[in-house]
Amino acid sequence: MMNAEVEEMEDTAVCEVDVRSVTVRFSDGVEHAFPVRPDQTILAAAKEHDVRLVHQCLTGSCGTCVTRVASGKVRMSTARGTSLLPSEAAEGFRLTCTSFCDSDAVLQFDYPSSVLDEPGPARCTAEVADAAWVASNVVRLTLRLPKDAGLEFRSGQYVRVQVPGTEEWRSYSMASTVADLPELVLLLRVLDAGVMSDYLRSRARAGDLIELEGPFGMFYLREAKGQHIMIAGGTGLAPMLGMLEDIRMRAGRKPKVLLSFGCASEDNLFYVDELDVRAAWLPGLKVKVAVANPGEAYRGLVGNPVEVISAADISDPATAVAYLCGPPPMIESARAHLERLGVLPENIHAEHFSASAA
Amino acid sequence: MDMKRTVKKANDAAARRLYAPYAEAEWGFLNHWYPARFSQEVPEGGAIGVQICGVPIVLRRSRGKVYALKDQCLHRGVKLSAKPMCLTEDTITCWYHGFTFSIETGELVSIVAAPDDEIIGTTGIPTFPVEEVNGIVFVFVRSEDWDEDVPPLAQDLPIRFPDNNERFPHPFWPDTPSMLDKDAVALGVHRTGYANWRLACENGFDAGHLLIHKDCTIVQAKDWAVPLGIKPLTDQATQLIEDEDGPKGFINMYFTENYEPVLVNERLGVKASGTVPKYFRTSMFLPGVLMVENWPEEGVVQYEWYVPITDDTYEYWEVLVKRCPTEEDVKGFEYRFKNFYEPMALHGFNDCDLFARDAMQNFYADGTGWTDEQLGDMDYSIITWRKVASRYNRGIAAKPRGVAGVVKGASNVLAEIRGPAAGSYRKTKGE
Repeated sequence: MMNAEVEEMEDTAVCEVDVRSVTVRFSDGVEHAFPVRPDQTILAAAKEHDVRLVHQCLTGSCGTCVTRVASGKVRMSTARGTSLLPSEAAEGFRLTCTSFCDSDAVLQFDYPSSVLDEPGPARCTAEVADAAWVASNVVRLTLRLPKDAGLEFRSGQYVRVQVPGTEEWRSYSMASTVADLPELVLLLRVLDAGVMSDYLRSRARAGDLIELEGPFGMFYLREAKGQHIMIAGGTGLAPMLGMLEDIRMRAGRKPKVLLSFGCASEDNLFYVDELDVRAAWLPGLKVKVAVANPGEAYRGLVGNPVEVISAADISDPATAVAYLCGPPPMIESARAHLERLGVLPENIHAEHFSASAA
Repeated sequence: MDMKRTVKKANDAAARRLYAPYAEAEWGFLNHWYPARFSQEVPEGGAIGVQICGVPIVLRRSRGKVYALKDQCLHRGVKLSAKPMCLTEDTITCWYHGFTFSIETGELVSIVAAPDDEIIGTTGIPTFPVEEVNGIVFVFVRSEDWDEDVPPLAQDLPIRFPDNNERFPHPFWPDTPSMLDKDAVALGVHRTGYANWRLACENGFDAGHLLIHKDCTIVQAKDWAVPLGIKPLTDQATQLIEDEDGPKGFINMYFTENYEPVLVNERLGVKASGTVPKYFRTSMFLPGVLMVENWPEEGVVQYEWYVPITDDTYEYWEVLVKRCPTEEDVKGFEYRFKNFYEPMALHGFNDCDLFARDAMQNFYADGTGWTDEQLGDMDYSIITWRKVASRYNRGIAAKPRGVAGVVKGASNVLAEIRGPAAGSYRKTKGE
């Protein structure tokens, strides 16, 4: 449940001069406490005291350093734009790279401290093996990594790639798994304008070289006693495909999985056959495919991938774990919808498209 | 005449993708129950090594009970079973440096030559659940990340009768016995086949392979009317068995309106001979156990397991089960097994199958056979099996590390073929 103090914190305009004590708590129970000066972001203070936290951009954009305030008053900087959604802020989520403490605070992190011991991001030059249009606005980009790339990742994580011929970098989730290395598959949304979109439309060829860095992100399959619920908008399907493979390859009885995948129009749809295959491999997987604005001949589900989920689709909301990936408005509505259906806020994990995804 | 040089592949890439997990399972499926040895092969106080799905396993019987542990000392990786050393009833000791493990928990409880070593009590080797039923030691070959309850053995054995009489009626024979029935007696043999385990599975229920049995002694001697082949007619020819807590597999509904026996090939002048109707039915279950009902004779069922040892060897188990309520019945079954079933059926008839599986190995050994094969109408049930296995396996065994059969043609493999490893260095050249 939301903490009352967290709700009020927006009203606290002026920070007091005292040094605050912050306790960070990881999902495996490991805790560290350190002091934070009023003019210091939480992430900066953590660094100063050698407490490692997962982060990437340091500007409030990528969302990687997200935490949830368990108690205390934690204020996000208003001096910058942020990828944190208003609904997430209201739930007590903060980005540690742009947050300040107005009181002592306890922060809950959604990953075990052991994650920090995993190898950090690697950088390499990959080769384009294939760039295929799988829908009117989606390209499947297959990259071949060099043998010594040293890139290990969890399904669900993302890489940054440099758009060939430019200085621009973009982030995309892997649709493949480590088992597929040295091949790496990304699903790219192509927009009317944008450097990556322009590259894909006009210049992308097999053999192109692409700078790549990763992995990043804390979006990956969680240990769950109950059902996994995956909601994907458009290319938000990519991380789900990797996580479905993780579920298939894991020893033991397969959990129930609900995957709801939606696109705006029929010609935006892709991978429908692939999802049939995944459902054949995984007895517990139920797939819903929805189109928001279909043509007259369309006979499938109509709507967005959030609203087509009903209470009947969720076997036990209290133990379900949800994964959301798509544009920010979808994340917001999915979070609200799942909470209404009884899924616990701490069991909802989200990865949203950043604004510069084009 | 114009010859067709390009042949359309019946199993195109999209269809193959549906059973891609099966194609990955070169080393078999983990987290299933497999027969490891007959009870009589694991005598009290001793230890014997087997390998299943690339996992080396040592079986040790102590105070009547069989225990299974990983057959690889954690110290220098030798097989404990290479030279069994059992110093107490509750342990097994590595013959090399004396690392000693609890047979119950696998914990390192002592080291013969270093009783005060600090690693004692801090480490150990994996153990495996064991069930001993009707003279067969079954092992649940679990992966190291398996942290769930162990499913009952019955989930990895064929379906039973009369429970399934209504669902799968069998008007031509009495209720098929089961391994798990009261009064059931199981007699059989096992031996190593030199092919991938999947080729063996697919030979077992292959509706089109009866041709290889046409000339078998038992068929001729008993004048059995075995067809040249059995052709599926409807989508009900093969029925799936996928109950939540039951065995997963399928059954071929032979001798119903869903199949048509092929008795003659006019073009080639070949006819099925034999005048005595021979009714039977095959069904196949995860992790690779075949049931042939009403075989070789009424009241008997033949089970076959194709247990992966490596990616190019499997242990072929043929087990006949019969209900024998009296001591006399047991004796009669044993006599008939020894003097009829074993020589004429398990060897005479099924030796043809072993030959056929070994003959397929080269085509599939490098992985290309799975895409280059040209399947036909008769292979309906093979595709069914591949899909069922893809969907319901409890884990695909990865290529193992540091065990027999990973490195092909290694000098020690060749030495093993030559003779028993332990003590062989006493021999000198020319002896």
